[in-house]
Amino acid sequence: MRKRKKTGPVEALGDGVFRINLTDSERETMLAFVDQLEEVLTAEHTDPRLRRLFPTAYHENPDLDAEYQGYMRDELSASRASSIATVREVLGTQEPISESQLYAFMMVLNSLRLVLGTLLGVSEDEDTDDIEDDDPTFGQAQLYGYLGWLLEWTVDTLSNG
Amino acid sequence: MPFTTDPLLRPGDTRASDTQVAEPDIQETTDTDLPWIVLVWNDPINLMSYVSFVFQKLFGYSKEKADLLMLDVHEKGRAVVSSGTREHAEIDVFRLHEHGLWATMQKDSQKDS
Repeated sequence: MRKRKKTGPVEALGDGVFRINLTDSERETMLAFVDQLEEVLTAEHTDPRLRRLFPTAYHENPDLDAEYQGYMRDELSASRASSIATVREVLGTQEPISESQLYAFMMVLNSLRLVLGTLLGVSEDEDTDDIEDDDPTFGQAQLYGYLGWLLEWTVDTLSNG
Repeated sequence: MPFTTDPLLRPGDTRASDTQVAEPDIQETTDTDLPWIVLVWNDPINLMSYVSFVFQKLFGYSKEKADLLMLDVHEKGRAVVSSGTREHAEIDVFRLHEHGLWATMQKDSQKDS
């Protein structure tokens, strides 16, 4: 008997169609985090959780940067909101999805990781795997690892699918 | 995958919430003939495979070129990923920000590089 090829949480079905292999409860959990991301996106511009989502564009010229943020920030927010809406659809169905839907899923996963990574103070020399289970940030660190795993699969599937 | 749905995206005070990246220190130039360059800075959060994939998607680079650029960012702290008019650079910066990459733009400091 031939062994089936091992599949991960994200799978290319061919012809530009993909499937996310998450259970209903995993989907619900992810949707709850997407809700939280949406809430974070409406926070004050100065909220440190947003620093990685809305970076400086002109690092040597604050005036030009203020001008840039003035006309680009809303557009960036709108783009994120649109990806979030797509991801709600994706997580709401067990049906196969399109490449652009999977792409939106990838972007939202990455946004979530950026917010969590910022909260956790992730740095080059510190591994979130080292966080002890009695640390108050253990839940965040677990989620950060989970999102990284899911994102890696998503990128890999989009690259080869 | 066991994790709770308690709010996890809340600012905590238990760990450093400052993911610091060294501020660039680059001479400002005012020569208007110079093109604008788009830089991507190293950060400890984005996955290497993700960064390379984004370079391929946004700029149409081959996997080989995108991987080299990504490694440049990772090892040297930054890399120039595109250049052109100010308007063009702004669009590239926007698309990189959309993808969560740490991109900035500046006038090129060398005319004939």
